[in-house]
Amino acid sequence: MITQEKYRTTVKELLANGTIKMAIGYRPGSTSDRRRPLFIRTSEEADQLVLDSTCITNLSGYLVTEGLLSDEKQVGIFLRPEGIRSINILAAEYQLNVDQIIIFGFDSTGREVRALQGQTTGDFSALLSEIRENPPLTTKEPLLERIEKMNAKERFDFWQQEFSRCIKCYACRQACPMCYCRRCIVDSNQPQWVNTSSHTLGNFEWNVVRAFHLSGRCVQCGNCDRACPVNIPLRLINQRMANEVVDGFDHFAGLSPTQEPVLASFKKDDTETFIL
Amino acid sequence: MTRILFSDKLDNCVAKWRSAGLTVIGPVQGESLSSYATVEKGTDLHLGLVLPDRSLKELFFPQTEPMLSYTIKKNEIETADFTPPSAPRIIFGARPCDASGLAIDDPLFGWDYKDEYWFQRRNESVIVTIACTKADDFCLCTSLKLAPDSTKGSDVLLRSLDKNRGWLVEELTDRGREAFAIISEYLQEGSEPALPTVEVPEKFNLDTCVTWLQNPENFDSKFWKEISMRCIGCASCTYLCPTCHCFDIQDEGDTYSGIRRKNWDSCSFALFTMHTSGHNPRSTQSARWRQRIMHKFNYFPGKFSVNSCSGCGRCSRQCPVDMGITETLQEISKL
Ligand code: SF4
Ligand code: SF4
Ligand code: SF4
Ligand code: SF4
Repeated sequence: MITQEKYRTTVKELLANGTIKMAIGYRPGSTSDRRRPLFIRTSEEADQLVLDSTCITNLSGYLVTEGLLSDEKQVGIFLRPEGIRSINILAAEYQLNVDQIIIFGFDSTGREVRALQGQTTGDFSALLSEIRENPPLTTKEPLLERIEKMNAKERFDFWQQEFSRCIKCYACRQACPMCYCRRCIVDSNQPQWVNTSSHTLGNFEWNVVRAFHLSGRCVQCGNCDRACPVNIPLRLINQRMANEVVDGFDHFAGLSPTQEPVLASFKKDDTETFIL
Repeated sequence: MTRILFSDKLDNCVAKWRSAGLTVIGPVQGESLSSYATVEKGTDLHLGLVLPDRSLKELFFPQTEPMLSYTIKKNEIETADFTPPSAPRIIFGARPCDASGLAIDDPLFGWDYKDEYWFQRRNESVIVTIACTKADDFCLCTSLKLAPDSTKGSDVLLRSLDKNRGWLVEELTDRGREAFAIISEYLQEGSEPALPTVEVPEKFNLDTCVTWLQNPENFDSKFWKEISMRCIGCASCTYLCPTCHCFDIQDEGDTYSGIRRKNWDSCSFALFTMHTSGHNPRSTQSARWRQRIMHKFNYFPGKFSVNSCSGCGRCSRQCPVDMGITETLQEISKL
């Protein structure tokens, strides 16, 4: 409550003095446990702001909405640590300028919500390094451990079963802050790289392509997982890939806005003969 | 005299229908998702669900469906049609909103062209609906002038007795009567009061909304942008909707042979209206959301005299950003 009230006041001040043109936060949803994204442009809208433990959606994807940042004005946004990492990745991939972003950081334990100190991504670097060293418990999902113990065949069968439900709505893509491509590979048809149909092959192609594109970029915010209307545990795939990238390349995504993207950087003296 | 189907006879009925050559389908709760699925026993049915996560439409209009195969040869093109194999079936325990959804889409699929994939399955399916005795916060059939015991689209309507003991049987069509004749030995004559259907509060006044939508001035209203600013265009509202029916025809294969398929498509996608030139007449998400609402409550009823929404609430239940038909129409009714 106190955190929420403080933030309402801060947002109002920053809007009133012209520092930000908009703040992106949360407001009550259609049931008591739901929250909706809120775009605050006026003091009245700031009064609708809620900040509690049920604010879980990673809102950073809205920042790359076409035209939002093109006037170079500043925008405020409510972010959990994963969201701050997303902002860093978006900046490292030249999708936004961090100087235009004012971060209203928060985190929660149980029902308790607390503000994170800082306003620009640099202010949170110590926190992010700390998260890298001590990942939150959610990264040790029981299902993930179960999958890790499977042999290749069992694992393949498990995912085939899960993907068989996919309806190719692309909600996972739309919900993911890292899926900002103007034209997704599945929407390109000259040539048609990926089958558009949601049959076994098409579903596999889609989910595997996305997993590769997210490797070393996913921050485990869970947006994809929550958006998937057929409840495929998508976050696990990306989390596994994130672990691979940490192990193989010592790369924890989203530590800073200048961190070199792991799978999109190229060195002449690379010892590998093959690049993906 | 009304007839009663007691729950303890359901296994016998399922067995009987199956031996009469009908596939029996009904609501089933899977490990992480519920849907209408084939069952072998009555006890496999999960009739206590408010409604399955996935709608009934996909049994009639699957997410992907082969239409024909083609092989291009030197002097000719060979094609072979795929029509669904004849598969008579009974859907036991449909919800009234899902059954209504089918009836709503019938005129669409039979309008300028009769969609044989849809109608073959329609003609071979008996829909046994159970009137709802419970609802959740998202159900809105009554706002659409339907009800928890609507008979639209159903062949038989069942009304529940207390303590899950069974149902009062109301046969509505010849198809329904034929299917229940198969199991008549398990039906008992009698009459008992059925449980009352659930009260679903009306969430908005539909007529007010429709009048607003029909006013051409409101097409460009600022309202559309405001209401849909948070929409991420994920299409899950349209894919779970029992009445959304858009599809795309795609050829899959190489230059010389392949399969032509009919795949679900959605007005929520930017690509849906993208022209080859790169111009997109619905270039913003708000234009796409407006289309979904206009189509359901203005264009579709204009053409087929019925709203393209049965009030199942799935669009709102599922939306990752908590939007949906309900909020939009509620806001419109306040304008
Ligand atoms: S892949 Fe999923 S969990 Fe990872 S950043 Fe994207 S939405 Fe979040
Ligand atoms: S959100 Fe789920 S159903 Fe939709 S495309 Fe992604 S994996 Fe498939
Ligand atoms: S528009 Fe929404 S409430 Fe209406 S039938 Fe479709 S999913 Fe159900
Ligand atoms: S309204 Fe919701 S479910 Fe529908 S496309 Fe928009 S974000 Fe997705």
